[in-house]
Amino acid sequence: MSALILTSVLGVLLLYLGLFGQKKLLVPVGVLGLLAAIGLFVMDRSINVAMFANMVSFDRASWFFSCGMLVVTVLIFLFGADYYARQEENVAEQYALMVFSLTGALLLTSYTNLLMLFLGIEILSIPLYIMAGGKRDSMRSSEASFKYFLLGSFASAFLLMGIALIYGVAASFDLGVVKEVALRQLVQPDILFTLGCFFVAIGLSFKVAAAPFHFWSPDVYEGSPTLITAFMSTVVKMAAFIGLYRFVGMTQMPPTLGNALLVMTIFTLLIGNIVALRQSHFKRLMAYSSIAHSGFLLMAVLSQAPNTAQVLFYYTFTYSLATVGLFILMTLAKRAANGDEHIRIFRGLFRAKPWIGVVTLLLLLSLAGIPLTAGFVAKYQIFLLAIGADMIKTTVFAVLMALVGIYYYAVVIREAFTPSEEAPALVVSPVNLLLISVCGISVVVFGLLPGYLQ
Amino acid sequence: MLLIALLLVPFLAAALLLVARPDGAARTIALLSSFITAALAILLWVRYPGSNVTLLDLAWMPDWGLRFTVGYDGTGLLFLLLTALIFPFIIGAGRREGADRPALMNALLLFTQSALFGVFMAQNAFLFYIFYELSLVPLFFLLLFWGSAVPGRLGSAKAVTMRFFIYTLLGGLALLFAIAYCVVQEPTHSADFNALHALRLPGDVQIWLFWALFLAFAVKLPIFPFHSWQPDTYTSAPLQGTMVLGGVLLKMGLFGILRFVLPIVPEGVEFWRSTVVWMALIGALYAGIIAFRQRDLKRLVAYSSLSHVGLLCAGLFAQNTYGISGSLYQAFAHAVLVVCMLYLVGAIQRRTGTTDLEAMGGLKHRAPRLAALFFLVMLNAVALPLTQSFVGEWLMFNGLWQRDGWMAFAAVTTIILGAVYMLYAYQRVMLGPENAKLPQTGDADQHDHLVLVPLIAVSLVLGVFPAPVLNLLDGSVQQMLSTFTALY
Repeated sequence: MSALILTSVLGVLLLYLGLFGQKKLLVPVGVLGLLAAIGLFVMDRSINVAMFANMVSFDRASWFFSCGMLVVTVLIFLFGADYYARQEENVAEQYALMVFSLTGALLLTSYTNLLMLFLGIEILSIPLYIMAGGKRDSMRSSEASFKYFLLGSFASAFLLMGIALIYGVAASFDLGVVKEVALRQLVQPDILFTLGCFFVAIGLSFKVAAAPFHFWSPDVYEGSPTLITAFMSTVVKMAAFIGLYRFVGMTQMPPTLGNALLVMTIFTLLIGNIVALRQSHFKRLMAYSSIAHSGFLLMAVLSQAPNTAQVLFYYTFTYSLATVGLFILMTLAKRAANGDEHIRIFRGLFRAKPWIGVVTLLLLLSLAGIPLTAGFVAKYQIFLLAIGADMIKTTVFAVLMALVGIYYYAVVIREAFTPSEEAPALVVSPVNLLLISVCGISVVVFGLLPGYLQ
Repeated sequence: MLLIALLLVPFLAAALLLVARPDGAARTIALLSSFITAALAILLWVRYPGSNVTLLDLAWMPDWGLRFTVGYDGTGLLFLLLTALIFPFIIGAGRREGADRPALMNALLLFTQSALFGVFMAQNAFLFYIFYELSLVPLFFLLLFWGSAVPGRLGSAKAVTMRFFIYTLLGGLALLFAIAYCVVQEPTHSADFNALHALRLPGDVQIWLFWALFLAFAVKLPIFPFHSWQPDTYTSAPLQGTMVLGGVLLKMGLFGILRFVLPIVPEGVEFWRSTVVWMALIGALYAGIIAFRQRDLKRLVAYSSLSHVGLLCAGLFAQNTYGISGSLYQAFAHAVLVVCMLYLVGAIQRRTGTTDLEAMGGLKHRAPRLAALFFLVMLNAVALPLTQSFVGEWLMFNGLWQRDGWMAFAAVTTIILGAVYMLYAYQRVMLGPENAKLPQTGDADQHDHLVLVPLIAVSLVLGVFPAPVLNLLDGSVQQMLSTFTALY
């Protein structure tokens, strides 16, 4: 797969650019490279062809997820030009690490072998541990990095253990073979296999920040540089969910695993939404809201219907667009407020900059799932899937939790539309304005015409 | 194309107001837009062939079996007409209110109107839901920007806004769940109303699904015990916002019951009928009693609206020709009444600087023409024969009588209570010795007449000659009832 190779080479190239001090070239080269990768994906539609010794195979879902992640990374890169404008050192590393992490994410979309799952997770995660500590002189950033690394490696160990146990029963890493074994397991359950599935599910749940494996996420979100937080809550989430979806599909869902995941779903919805109510710090609010969204997505993963992957993509991609837009907005507001991250930094936004206020409204409405935005269509689809899979009670619970979700987004909307004594002096460069507008308009366009994303 | 124009005219006018912010010309533009839509709606009425019409049917999300289908039948047309005809008055009323940022305010009002048109013309559940929720967003901002703190009650305008928003969305999300449930059960997975109405769900499912469907509308109307957001919201909202809420928005609840609850879960309705009717009637009585105790005129209007709405809901659930026609007829009358009453509240407040009933009295001596207008509106409010309200309430009373004598008795009691608190309010505002502390004020002027006289005329004409509206409803109501009777 040429796109995979291209992204790996792109990372190295960015490192060299940094080495020779070409800071100005980083973003153009990075964006061009990523666009070229998208181009390769668009041209080369080798769907369902086994590659790399039967380790990777791109199907329709992985194709969509890969393109979606590349697009989101392009948005983040474009914002990076502004974000890193005042930082002189180690900028190239940040971009390069992001591209490496993206390569791991691409592997996660397309693995057909459990080893590749592990490799994908590790390639995705290790750069993230470093990036979380990107602000070297900040204690919180280092704390985030260290926490993420410790807990993350613990989760990786679980994942590896699980893979080993599955290998012990199936004698193969290949998903096809394991799937056949899993089918037999439905009749004749083997405790080792079930345990293996559990362990792998735990490892992946850590990545999607599903309760009770979510404890890292608020601290890491808060401590990391905002650009990296944006990357974590979008690209990493997309990758982790497609990875989890493939894995759960492969296991044929033994009832014990299904029940465990259901309990996790309920807890994730509950903790994410309820705790988010008490947050006044914007990044922590987004962290808990991200956990809450994971709960909805887990419902879709559990349904395992023919169009689940489509819905997952639609949900995660539109969620990513809204999230990236909001993180950009937050960075700008934070600058205007001298580094404050409380949600009050948004106060008076509408009065000061009406258009930015309207875009903020659209992005938040999309996250809340109010009609005419993509977030609404996404939630509706999740409910359809869950009801189709006979999870009526879970859906009722999720509906209630969606209501709680609307409340805390409405609080932010209320802030942005409440006039303040001193209007925030937001400085919005043309590129940022374009980025925010693209995010805001696209959540509405995809909400009206969801057909473009499937 | 007429329906699309109906959707787009207010939407584009609102967008224009929002972008250009012509504060000076804002009301003129909004008024112009509302006159155009009123003309379009009348054109629809003239062209109405007397049966269900689907005017536009486009593929929208083909993979999910969703189509953009808009059309109307007699009931839909009634509500479209109501929305189109009442909005010029609501926007006109703003001229005297003089709120700041008129461009923004009128833009939000027109956005609401556009969403309301969408609700009343939607022919599938998904589209209905989208417009239904969309109507909430502009109101959220109307309340947030212009809402006033409710004196003596918990909460700033912000708190009231959030409560209204979350309360309404609770119902909305329950509806969304119910729609999703029905769509999954429906073999073609389309959300089309015809397909959903043909759905025959098992009886035990209908019994719980009834509440998922009904909750949204019970909150929107609202009926007892889902009403706790209503008095504060009505009091806090700017006058025009309250007019929209009470005049048109709550009619979505009635319309939703007709479109969703009655046809989709008939067995559930059968099972819960007396519960719901009694809930509605108890709410109506309770609100009537509380209205009597109110000191604030605007709050009194809020409770009187609550009382009327309880009766509307009861009439609808009587589910016979009299009950449904009466309820829909009264919905029209209620919209006219609420706008008149609220306009009068505004007019009195501008003249006396207060809405406190204790501080008023003897206004008649200074403003005889205003008193006369108030008197005419009040006649309609107490459902005196030859007014529009009398026709509606008489029909509903008959409908409930056919169900159960005690229900009819409760309904009549609410009407008597209505007469008591309205007359008492009139007495306290207009009659008695002149309150010397009130500032010197003028009488009703040309603008007041321009808004109130046509509305009063409508209520009197339709009180004497209700045939045009009843004929409009007749076909659809009969058709609806024949499908119900076919079930049993």
